[in-house]
Amino acid sequence: MRARAVVGGIVSSIAVLVIGWQLGGQPAVTAPSQSTTSGSSASGSGSSGSGSSGSTASGTGGSSVSGTFTGDATQTRYGPVQVRITVAGGKITDVTALQLTDHDGRSVQISQQAAPILRQEALAAQSASIQAVSGATFTSEGYTTSLQSAIDKAGL
Amino acid sequence: MNDVLTFETMGTVVSLRGATAAAASEVRAVFAGYDHRYSLYDPSSVLSRVADGTIRLPDTPEQVRDVYALALDWRERTGGAFTPHRPDGAVDLSGVVKALAIRDAGAVLDEADVDWMISAGGDVLVRGMHRGVEPWSVGVVDPAHRDTIVGVVRLDAPRRAVATSGTAERGEHIWRRTAPTFVQATVVADDVVTADVLATAIVAGDEEDLGRFTSDVDVDVLAFGADGRVWATPGATSWVTAGAAPVP
Repeated sequence: MRARAVVGGIVSSIAVLVIGWQLGGQPAVTAPSQSTTSGSSASGSGSSGSGSSGSTASGTGGSSVSGTFTGDATQTRYGPVQVRITVAGGKITDVTALQLTDHDGRSVQISQQAAPILRQEALAAQSASIQAVSGATFTSEGYTTSLQSAIDKAGL
Repeated sequence: MNDVLTFETMGTVVSLRGATAAAASEVRAVFAGYDHRYSLYDPSSVLSRVADGTIRLPDTPEQVRDVYALALDWRERTGGAFTPHRPDGAVDLSGVVKALAIRDAGAVLDEADVDWMISAGGDVLVRGMHRGVEPWSVGVVDPAHRDTIVGVVRLDAPRRAVATSGTAERGEHIWRRTAPTFVQATVVADDVVTADVLATAIVAGDEEDLGRFTSDVDVDVLAFGADGRVWATPGATSWVTAGAAPVP
């Protein structure tokens, strides 16, 4: 029924990107030094308290923000999600998920696990100087929202 | 200096950069207007009243019918991978409404002669450069490790828009026709509606669909397969590789 005028005739411009980091990649995990208290979920949807400690150098031009910035806690149907970023010289060097849910939807406390924001082997040369994040909603909506919030607070 | 303005709408958060307070207020009204017309969560919205049979679609305001026509056009262009109909037959335009709101917000922001960025629930549209010196950069979340950024998209005119969809997307606007081939798709395009619709359609479709979209439409795609493979158009490979030129 559906017209496919050019099946087979087209050299598709999409290609499989060979990647070595799909499963075996071991992202370097850095342990956060703080222990976050659990159980205090944000009230209502929206934001909860967010401490940020950062400094902005007064130089003109590129951002030289440094410090840690905590995004708003975002309510998801599975529980609150909150992200903290560490910024050095205007670039994100680490991200810590303070509250997350697991795949089965149970709230889990993973403050003892900090995942790096970068896959080092893939992005070593780029660092994460980003002003926005794009991810699928549902699984990552809360995460993306909180990360965006942290980035906004840092003013990267 | 932190010049980010944020507000909540459509169940997500909008971040604005480069907008005056007046422009931000106008942008907020744009989103509120779309939400008021198309939200299926708001029982008083135009589309909710169509769904419950209070209004017939032909009797809705012209702008609502235009949006429906646009969604139907995309259904044709994607061979049905994208559709504005729920399985129960109700008209659901949530697959295009956020992108349309971003598009219209962009038109508002364009009235001022400054560079800007708007991000709404992971869909991003920009003009110009970040701080005037470097491309606006958007991190792509890893579908398998959501606390990881796997790639960085640098938006360079005319490629001004990026959108991402996933299989675990809210059921309201992605309905797969087949077994899932892709778990996440990020699309960069000249306009945000194309990016958003195609991201949705790729995740709803299969490899053949992906090949067709990337042949027919001028976009760049980074798609994560359910089998662990990562697909990328030539223009997208630099998003996830270290070969990209570092930002000055």
